[in-house]
Amino acid sequence: MQVSERIKVIISMIGLDGHTMGAEVVARLLRDAGIEVVYLGVNQTPEMIVQAAMHEDVEAIGISSHASNYNQVVELVELLEKNDLKHVKVFCGGNIPKHKVVELKDKGIAEVFPPGSSGKKIVETFLNGTRGGKWSN
Amino acid sequence: MVQLSAKDQLILDALTSGCVRTCARLISRIERGEPGLVELLRALYMAGGSEKIIGITGPPGAGKSSLVAKVIGVLRRRGNRVAVLAVDPSSPFTGGAILGDRLRMIGHATDPEVFIRSMASRGRLGGLAKKAGDVLTVLSAMPWDFIIVETVGTGQSETEIMHYAAVVVLVQTPMAGDDVQAAKAGINEISDIYVVNKSDHPDADRFRRQLEAMVGLGLRLEGDRLWRPPVVKTQSLVGEGVDELVDQIGQRFRTLAESPELSRQRFRHRLRHRVVEIVREMLERDIQSGNGMLPDSRLEPVLAREKDPYELAREFLSGGT
Amino acid sequence: MKRETDYGYEIKSVYTPEDIAGVDYGRDLGDPGVYPFTRGYYPEGYRSRMWTRRMTAGLGSSEDTNKVLKRYYRMGQRGGLCVISDRVFSDCIDPDHPLGRKEAGVLGWPGCSFLEFEEMMDDIPLTGHSITLLGSCAPTTLRLAYVVALAEKRGDEIGLIHGSVMESPFENYFGQTDVQPFDLNLKLFLDAAEYVLRNNIRMRACIISQHFQESGGNNAQAIAVELSMLKEIIGLLVNERGLEFDTAAKLPYELFSIGSRFFEEVAKMRALRRMWARLAKEEFGAKDDKSCHLLLSVHTSGRTMTYQQPLNNIVRCAIQTLAGVIGGCSALDNATLDNAHAEPSALAARMSLNTQHIVACETGAADVVDPLAGSYFVETLTNRIEEEAYKIYGKIQEFGGMIKALEAGYIQKMLTDEAIKKFQEIENGERLVVGVNHLVLPPGEDFEIPIQEVRGEDSEKIAHRMQEWKKTRNLPHLTEKIVQLYRDARKGDRFNLMPSIIDAVKSYATAGEVMGTIRMARGLSYDPFHIIECPFALDGEASAHAAA
Ligand SMILES: Nc1nc2c(ncn2[C@@H]2O[C@H](COP(=O)(O)OP(=O)(O)OP(=O)(O)O)[C@@H](O)[C@H]2O)c(=O)[nH]1
Ligand SMILES: [Mg+2]
Repeated sequence: MQVSERIKVIISMIGLDGHTMGAEVVARLLRDAGIEVVYLGVNQTPEMIVQAAMHEDVEAIGISSHASNYNQVVELVELLEKNDLKHVKVFCGGNIPKHKVVELKDKGIAEVFPPGSSGKKIVETFLNGTRGGKWSN
Repeated sequence: MVQLSAKDQLILDALTSGCVRTCARLISRIERGEPGLVELLRALYMAGGSEKIIGITGPPGAGKSSLVAKVIGVLRRRGNRVAVLAVDPSSPFTGGAILGDRLRMIGHATDPEVFIRSMASRGRLGGLAKKAGDVLTVLSAMPWDFIIVETVGTGQSETEIMHYAAVVVLVQTPMAGDDVQAAKAGINEISDIYVVNKSDHPDADRFRRQLEAMVGLGLRLEGDRLWRPPVVKTQSLVGEGVDELVDQIGQRFRTLAESPELSRQRFRHRLRHRVVEIVREMLERDIQSGNGMLPDSRLEPVLAREKDPYELAREFLSGGT
Repeated sequence: MKRETDYGYEIKSVYTPEDIAGVDYGRDLGDPGVYPFTRGYYPEGYRSRMWTRRMTAGLGSSEDTNKVLKRYYRMGQRGGLCVISDRVFSDCIDPDHPLGRKEAGVLGWPGCSFLEFEEMMDDIPLTGHSITLLGSCAPTTLRLAYVVALAEKRGDEIGLIHGSVMESPFENYFGQTDVQPFDLNLKLFLDAAEYVLRNNIRMRACIISQHFQESGGNNAQAIAVELSMLKEIIGLLVNERGLEFDTAAKLPYELFSIGSRFFEEVAKMRALRRMWARLAKEEFGAKDDKSCHLLLSVHTSGRTMTYQQPLNNIVRCAIQTLAGVIGGCSALDNATLDNAHAEPSALAARMSLNTQHIVACETGAADVVDPLAGSYFVETLTNRIEEEAYKIYGKIQEFGGMIKALEAGYIQKMLTDEAIKKFQEIENGERLVVGVNHLVLPPGEDFEIPIQEVRGEDSEKIAHRMQEWKKTRNLPHLTEKIVQLYRDARKGDRFNLMPSIIDAVKSYATAGEVMGTIRMARGLSYDPFHIIECPFALDGEASAHAAA
């Protein structure tokens, strides 16, 4: 599943959540699919992630949320839009209750990966979600 | 002189007035190897000013990124605007990469006067990314007071940074093993400043003494004076020693400014290297592509062992057939 | 499908006396209550002391948590209470910090001041049951200070209080992160540990493998890491803080993550008891037999609980609870049903406790000590995991111990590699998980369960309350205590800060204030996130100090 295009994404945690293993595993899966992953680690605010997305010119952002702080993911989406970065897709993974999943998608999160999602599906979603997102001048 | 397209002119204007968003996007185009950037890069080179690139190199995990974070902090306090290019290795198997330098620099994550860009090395040895030269051309055309380049921690061949940076800082740690890494690979000659990071480590002072002794051996003649690179002890998690490091970096820039011949000499050296690199890349493109300037037909005599590869190379360079 | 233990030992189809021919009963097992304690610490097992049956509480405000604790008691929680703190307290910032505002009370109890502790413990005695406060390492000294301060206020004799409020700094590497730096966490942890040991306070510290394992580590690695952490911490208390080993050995307890691989889980508990006893006796020269006892608590494994078909988690939790009981635990908390979705709902909490009561009353498992001893299979597994764990332990020791191995990145790499391996085993169908990669239901047909709602507005309420309440404190008094703490914190790592932290807490200094002050004294920023400034005039202190 190797790609020749440069695909660059951010993987990050948001807020005070400290459960990093999910994010680390996903980062590795994406790397192994040929994607360049800017790994931001823990304790990122929506503002920090937006600045990183702008500096790094990424195609997508993956947020791992295991701490019921998905409201901040919604904030992130809103802030991206405010900063003219609407083309950057936001994916979110973690133990997110089902009715929240619907809500998050309504609010512009491109896809939500609950626990037990297959790695293959995660990688494919990132690849499909970013291929069209090439920036042209 | 070729006129820039209107679009490129807009980009140039945006960059020279410091537009980070434009910069970020242009870097991506460079990374993707988009064709048609030559004119713009040329204009950017012309717009570039004085030397302000600081190279930070050293073995993996030495604390380069943590140190860069603190250096940014000091520079910001002194009123400087800073850009950082941080290179991390690509996976040789998949081309993917996990770029983890930025994670150490989150203290500056929302500062609009700081630009941080991570870059994958893309199979390039020597600690820098293939496109780093062009990216530095872009950054140099912008109103940054300093540009910091963090190389991949290869532990071996970090010498490449000297071909890009005006001032090179080599970061090492007391944990790196008993022998001072600087002894290897002629690194002694490339570094302007030595850092012993993780000075909270019990072996830090012993290591520093060793390093000082070694640096003493490598006393260099620069112009008409002897130059001995300073050794600075830092603890990059709390920022200890970082003010001194920044002072030393500033001092080095001043010394170079005060010895125009020396800096020109260093500059010429870097330019030579840059030209070699560009030539290599052009040649690679021309030669590797099957329908390019070295068609299969020209390889036949070598295949048949009527010629050897050297002969073909000489012919190619001299433009013969 | 793989037929091997989670650490890669290939399981045979049948085990016979030959497999345990090398086992010497006296040397390797011993009767329950006899060295090397493979079979447990008490000759009578659960007949003499039932395990503590508890549920972890903590969500919303301190008053909410107080209500939940009382409800758990009515549901049959016995022997102790257990509260986990929210991410804000875990990081030692305050709810009115811009980042705290969004998450106060979201994932646990917002215990950022002594006031919050008083409210949480309203009408709940400090004695007669164990008090366990979980979260992360950073607030260790604060949690201890709360207990000491409240005991004093209520006139409870401190010696009668028992439980656990301290957490080792290693958890930071295993997903239980807080923002404070490792060296600071370690120093404060040792301060708290030394304080309880020197003052004969019966408070334990969790030095536990749970988070390591929940992050993806395997059973053998978990034991090796546990033993290495114990060795490092106890070693520091003995060598740096000058405590006797037999005193220091009263400190730790292990919290095992118990999964569904029933026999392996039992074997792992037995193996660790034996390995700790040997370490205590042979390396540390334990004089007291009790020093060879490592209190073993059990938490059922959250990572085995599935999002898909959540009712299946009731079955998983029951199997894991039974394994923990048969393995011989002294306390057990379990999470069932909705563990992969949200914080436990009232229904899930009741199911959890009922699961324990069913095991306790209906299965007969509590009637006999170490019932699986002598099983060819279980004894083999006990030997195998011990062997494998010793190999990893040996490597960690080659680095120079746990801290050095972490500095070298060895442990982190081992953990990430293993987590990825586990992920891929499921991805490739080498391990089957019902509902996830086996017998999957279309999402529409999945069963529904009640979900505990997180109310975002609660955070703001908690934050606002703190902001207003802060102004009502006796500020001159508070400032005096903060300045004292600052001065003490500049006296070096060996100077024990517990007394000045207790003083500060009693005058209602908050978590953010206490930790911020200590950070400043160590040359760090007041706010680990660099957002807010120190509200106290400590700079004058610093320069006055420098001038002196
Ligand atoms: N004890 C101590 N640890 C430090 C210090 N500086 C950095 N570290 C730690 O060293 C590790 C590596 O730091 P980085 O800043 O990522 O090092 P690096 O050289 O950029 O690493 P690569 O980019 O991966 O080559 C981190 O865990 C830091 O926390 C220091 O002064 N003292
Ligand atoms: Mg780095």
